[in-house]
Amino acid sequence: MWLPVLGLLLGLLLGFMSDIRVPPEYSNYLSIAVLAALDTLFGGIRAHLQGSFEDKVFITGFFFNILLAAGLAYLGVHLGIDLYLAAIFAFGVRLFNNIAVIRRLIISKWSDSRKKA
Amino acid sequence: MKERQFMFATIALIIGGMLAIQFETTNNPIVRDTRDLWDLRADLEKEKQRQQELNEELEQYSELLNQYQGDGKEEKIQAMENALSDLKKQAGLTTVSGQGIVITIEPFNDELIGVDRPLPKIDPDMLRRLVNELNRYDAKEISIDGQRIVSKTPIREVNGNIYINNEPVSSFPIEIRVLAKDNEKLHQKIIASPAVEEFIRENFLVESSPAAKVILPAFDKSMKVKFMKPAKEET
Repeated sequence: MWLPVLGLLLGLLLGFMSDIRVPPEYSNYLSIAVLAALDTLFGGIRAHLQGSFEDKVFITGFFFNILLAAGLAYLGVHLGIDLYLAAIFAFGVRLFNNIAVIRRLIISKWSDSRKKA
Repeated sequence: MKERQFMFATIALIIGGMLAIQFETTNNPIVRDTRDLWDLRADLEKEKQRQQELNEELEQYSELLNQYQGDGKEEKIQAMENALSDLKKQAGLTTVSGQGIVITIEPFNDELIGVDRPLPKIDPDMLRRLVNELNRYDAKEISIDGQRIVSKTPIREVNGNIYINNEPVSSFPIEIRVLAKDNEKLHQKIIASPAVEEFIRENFLVESSPAAKVILPAFDKSMKVKFMKPAKEET
C-alpha cells in the first residue's frame, strides 16, 4: 500500500526538482495524458480490489490510453474539432465511475470485517 | 503480489512526474526572449541612460544628506528649507517663468463652419491627450487657462463644461502655457502633433507661438495626500 504512494511522492519531487517545462503549445497534450494516466491508475486499483487485475492489461492500458488521448488531441487540432473534449469526457466519466466502485468496495469490505468482529 | 506493488509504484512515479511538470508549466510558463540584436542594443542604451540618471539623482541626494549631517544648526535648517522649496517647485506650488510656448485654442471662424452650427465642444479626452503629448515632447510645466497642471490635476467634463482643477474653463480662446527647455523644437513638434490634428478635426483653430518669457501660475488648491505615509526613521 505504501509503495505506490511513495512512488507518487518521488515522482512529484523529481518533477519539481528537474525544472522541466513543456512549451505552452504542448501543455494541452500533457494535461490529457495526465488524465488518461490517472484513469488507468484508478482502473487498476479497482481491478485489484475486484480481483480481476491483469498485469498486461494494466501496463498496455496505461501507455495505450496516454498515446490515444494525445493522438486524439493532435488529430483534433489538425481537423479543427475539439476532439480532446471527447477524451476528457470519456476519461472524466470513467474516473468518477472507478472511484465510485472503489468506494463501494472499500465500504463493503469494511462492513464485512465489522460483522465478523 | 510484491511485483504488482512495484508496478503500481512505477506507474504512480510516472504520473507524479507528469503532474509536477504540468504544474510547473501552468504556473510559470516558458517566456521566450525574442529580441533581436538591435532591440537588445536599444534596451541596453536605455538602461545605461537610466543608470546615469539614477547616479545623478544619487549624487544629488547624498549631497543633501551631507548637508543634513553637517555641523551647525543654521546649516541644517538652511538645507531643509532648500529641500522644501525644491519639492514645492517640483510639485508645482510656486509660480514659475522661463522660455516656452503659448498655445491658443478657439473655434474656427463662423464663415468656415457655417453660422447656424453651434459652437464646437471640447472633449476632456482631447485636452488630456494634448497634455500627454506636450509631456512627451519634453514640456517642463503646463498651465491651461490659468490652472497649473500638476500630477493630480483632474481634467473633466461636468454638465457640458470643462473643469480643470475643479475650476470651470472660461470661454474661448483657451490659452495653454508651456515651459520648455527648447521652445522652438516643442513648437515645431506640437503644431504637427496628432493631438492638435484632433482639435482641427473638431473645428478648432490651434495656434502655437514660442515666447521668450512665459509665466505660469502656482497650483493654488490644497494637495490631498491619500496614499503617502511618513517613513519610519531608522535608528
